[in-house]
Amino acid sequence: MGVVEFAAAKTLASSAVFLFITVLLIASAKRTVSCIVLFAVQCAVITAQIVAMASLRHSGDAVAVAVMVLLVKVLAIPYALLRVSARLKVSPKVSAATTPAQSAFIAAALILLAFAVVQPYARDFALDSEMLAAATAMVLTGGFLMVSRRKALMQVVGLLVLENGIFLLALTTTFGMPLVIEMGIFFDLLIWVLLMGVFIFRIRETFAHVDVSRLRRLRG
Amino acid sequence: MNLSEFPLKFLLGGLLSTPAVACVSVRWKSVRPLATILPISALLAGAVAALQALTHGTRSAVDISWLAPLPFALSLDRLSAYFLLLICTVASPVAVFAASYLKRHYDDLRQCWILALLPLFLLSMVIVVAADTVFAFLFGWELMTLLSAALVAVDGWDGERRRAIFTYLLMMHAGAGAVFGAFFMLLPHSAGLDFASLRAAAPLLTGGVRGALFLLAFVGFGTKAGIVPLHVWLPKAHPIAPTPVSALMSGVMLKTAVYGFIRFTFDFLPARPAWWGYLVLAAGAISALLGVLFAIAEHDLKRLLAYHSVENIGIIYLGLGAAMIFDSQGAPMWAAVALSAALLHSLNHALFKSLLFLGAGAITDATHTQDMEELGGLLKRMRVTGIVFLVACCSIVGLPLFNGFVSEWLTFRSFVAGGELHSVLAAIVLPLAAGVLALVGGLAAACFAKVYGVAFLGRPRSAEADRAHEVPRLMQAGMGLLAAACLLIGIVPGIVLRLIDGVVQQVIPGAPAPSGFSGGLAQLLPWIAVFVIAISVGWFLVPRSTRVTSTWACGLPALDSRMQYTATSFSKPLRQVFSWAYKPDRTVTILPPEQPCFPASIAYRSVRTTSFERSLYQPALDGILTAAKRLRRMQTGNVQVYLLYLFLALVAALLYMRFA
Amino acid sequence: MTLGIDVIQVLLLIVIAPLLRGMIGRVKARIQNRRGASVFRPYADLWKLFRKEDLVPLTASFLFRLCPIVLFAATLAAAAFVPVLHASSLLGNTGDFILLVYMLALARFFLVLGAMDGGSSFGGMGASREALVSTLAEAPLLLAMIAIAIVSHSASIASMVHWTAVRDPFQLSPVHAFALVALAMVTIAETGRVPVDNPVTHLELTMIHEAMVLEYSGPSLALIEWANSIKLTLMFTLLIGLFAPWGIAASLSFFGLGIAVATFALKIAILIVALAALESGVAKLRMYLVPQYLGIACAISVLAVVFTVFAR
Repeated sequence: MGVVEFAAAKTLASSAVFLFITVLLIASAKRTVSCIVLFAVQCAVITAQIVAMASLRHSGDAVAVAVMVLLVKVLAIPYALLRVSARLKVSPKVSAATTPAQSAFIAAALILLAFAVVQPYARDFALDSEMLAAATAMVLTGGFLMVSRRKALMQVVGLLVLENGIFLLALTTTFGMPLVIEMGIFFDLLIWVLLMGVFIFRIRETFAHVDVSRLRRLRG
Repeated sequence: MNLSEFPLKFLLGGLLSTPAVACVSVRWKSVRPLATILPISALLAGAVAALQALTHGTRSAVDISWLAPLPFALSLDRLSAYFLLLICTVASPVAVFAASYLKRHYDDLRQCWILALLPLFLLSMVIVVAADTVFAFLFGWELMTLLSAALVAVDGWDGERRRAIFTYLLMMHAGAGAVFGAFFMLLPHSAGLDFASLRAAAPLLTGGVRGALFLLAFVGFGTKAGIVPLHVWLPKAHPIAPTPVSALMSGVMLKTAVYGFIRFTFDFLPARPAWWGYLVLAAGAISALLGVLFAIAEHDLKRLLAYHSVENIGIIYLGLGAAMIFDSQGAPMWAAVALSAALLHSLNHALFKSLLFLGAGAITDATHTQDMEELGGLLKRMRVTGIVFLVACCSIVGLPLFNGFVSEWLTFRSFVAGGELHSVLAAIVLPLAAGVLALVGGLAAACFAKVYGVAFLGRPRSAEADRAHEVPRLMQAGMGLLAAACLLIGIVPGIVLRLIDGVVQQVIPGAPAPSGFSGGLAQLLPWIAVFVIAISVGWFLVPRSTRVTSTWACGLPALDSRMQYTATSFSKPLRQVFSWAYKPDRTVTILPPEQPCFPASIAYRSVRTTSFERSLYQPALDGILTAAKRLRRMQTGNVQVYLLYLFLALVAALLYMRFA
Repeated sequence: MTLGIDVIQVLLLIVIAPLLRGMIGRVKARIQNRRGASVFRPYADLWKLFRKEDLVPLTASFLFRLCPIVLFAATLAAAAFVPVLHASSLLGNTGDFILLVYMLALARFFLVLGAMDGGSSFGGMGASREALVSTLAEAPLLLAMIAIAIVSHSASIASMVHWTAVRDPFQLSPVHAFALVALAMVTIAETGRVPVDNPVTHLELTMIHEAMVLEYSGPSLALIEWANSIKLTLMFTLLIGLFAPWGIAASLSFFGLGIAVATFALKIAILIVALAALESGVAKLRMYLVPQYLGIACAISVLAVVFTVFAR
């Protein structure tokens, strides 16, 4: 038991760093496929975190959540997104409004902002400030991705990263929501991604492009 | 006469009497060598006086208040002595160089003009650095500006040069106005006109007044030093001056501004709040980065060197800013290290920048051009000049075993130590400033690889470069002395660092001697030098067959000099990455315009106007002129209106007297 | 006593440098489904080159022959900074990382000058591109090492390695993680490997380092190639020493040194396989995308520096 607990504690201690690195790399990636793969890696790290927490807390619920995260977010959703991306036959580039270096600096600034913002809460509620900051950074970066990437598929990835951040935030503060709610959220997410896949094809057929910045009919 | 006062008096007397000798030598040519020997010996005496003051702390003083309307005294405390040493050690080799250079490039009359004005220029700098009263300081300050402008004007007074000299005078006087203003704000609080009473007056000031004084001093001395955005006069004035004068202006005159800033801020204004340090640090970082970026885009040799002066002044200000921040955070040891870095960099820059300018002068002497795009292959034709220029390039880039490295190392180490301060802002800003310094160092290396590679290596790009010949012995000697000093400080920095100890301990009371900190480096550098030299010599001693053949270049035949990289092409990738700093005006002219598809000629013209002039100075000038035009409406020309103005002023004065 | 081990460390780095290169080539070949040359091939190349004639272009000056040896001497001096088997090195006890980085800069400056002396367009091209890459790589390199220096409260390389060696391997602080990623990215740029520069290409479009040494032959070329391999070895050793030095000998016993040699070999092997996999799996970046790559490294190293404040 000592070894397992040791491993679990060390995993929890070091996972925030991996999340920061994936956040930076997703922000500065140049191809859509790289973003999807990095998202899968991020979810794998979160799975490891949940397993570590489960073994420390001896809670079976958490193991079930971990399995669901693995199946839905690490395997199913990235697979669906990769299939959509392959069948769309558009350019593999991300079509960002900022260059990779600029995006990296913006992501770094967002990470610092996240860190600065969570310090008082981490102190007052005795939480792990690194994990909290990682979650906030993921939320902010997801928003940044949605704002600065012009491809419709990247909007999906951005929203998924944002949702990851919120999920991690819930994990850190409340040690997980009840199992039923978690299951509901995951199925929602899966259906939403599948629907978005279909919608993107429709967008492409109607407008002959998937560039979100050119969709300008939303006004009065 | 006290024996310890003799060197200083000889310095002053020697420099003062040289113009007379120069005037005499217009008629009697045999006296002319005396006109160079006298100032050189005076400068050597000055160096002795400075060393005396630095090592033994003897304060030699000269008081000539009986000659002047206001108290006029010179005295050498450690800070003044260090800068006096800087002036003397740099100006002596420049004078040796000038002895031969002036003979080759100027006719009799102009030679004598320069030989008369140059020692007076040096004298004015000595007065500024050694001044102990306000009048002496401001007198020297003004004299420096006028004499340097006069020396630039000796070379010609037509069109473009006149505008450059006028801009120079204008900006120098604007800066002098701020300096005068700073002193005049301080004077009402002090008992007398000498520096000691000014020092005593400072603790009585309120925080607001201190802040205003600091800002005035920052702007005033910053204009003279060449801080961005007050640097626009540097690339105009330095390239058009005669070579020895540019060397002195860039190497020594800018350091008097640094001296003035240190004297005013560190000596007169104790209890410095942290925001002063951050302002100086930011100004230093911006100047360093923009200076080197503008330099990379230049291919006129002297203008490139002028921009590099802006960069190096930025590096000095980085050290000064760090020293102020450490001081306000209560870390006197690191403040001492940062200040010693700034002081050492002042000396190093004076040495290698003068050497670079002298080298540029030697190149102009041999090839009659300053444009790098027409040079090439000079190392084979001018071996000594090439070697000393290489030493200067390695020094300015900051490579180990040369002097630039030691001061940059000290600056880096102080920034690294800043990361351990308690204040979060300081602990973040100082290491990031080290990042800026690293970037600036890399850019400087790229720029000087371009300069040396294009000018001295490869094939000559013009007939003049092909015909270049070595310069006379005296010019080689002058440059060689400076190069030897660069190497000496680079390999055995301890000698100078020990002198700086005393200066720093006087300026920052309570600081330990910073030279102990760099003891490890001072130990390693000689060993590394011995190692590198031993391996290089050993390699050449091993017998090996060498064959001279044509350049291979993947088997391309008939290579000529136009197939080499030019300075513009070398710097293109960097200019592309940093394109936000340059905004050239590009015009493409196709002739004849009615036949665009089959043109007879296509001309491409790209002019880089400095962005600061276009976006900062021009709008400011336009605004001032517009405001002046509006104010002109008061000038109606009617006598009765003017009488009305007088009457209104009288009424206002009476009301003020009664109610205020 | 430590002097002996320190000298042996430097000699070890010098001697195994060509072997490292050979192994990277061999692993790359296997990944690319080829047999590959022998791992001792670079030694044979060096031996061949040292016995050949030195060809000097007619238009070149004495600097052309001076540059390779200055480059080699400076790289050797830099190799004396890095601890390999135990937490001290010949120059790294008092010498700090700034001196190390600038010794490498000295080597590179003379290489660039030598390239320009050849008088052909290839030399200028390689020099100009190398100027771009090295300028932009300088800031992340120094910032990452500054971050580690701040955290370990000392600037000498030996103390930095020692500080990490006595800490718990699983205390993966963000500062070290960011500095590792940034330094790894910069190592690839500094040593001229894919994706920044292809070390086996001779196409004009893709050369950086190869273009600079195009005019060199014989013993001069041998020195330059050897110095390049030493630089790669010393950057690897630096990465190992700063981020994963566990296994380094604390005392000078035979057992401790034996463990140190074994762990060093293992870590170098991991790095070799990682580099070979990276070089085989990733395409070389376009010239004007290299600034973006280095910009990302710079952002990561800035994060490393700022996180030192949070790590207190």
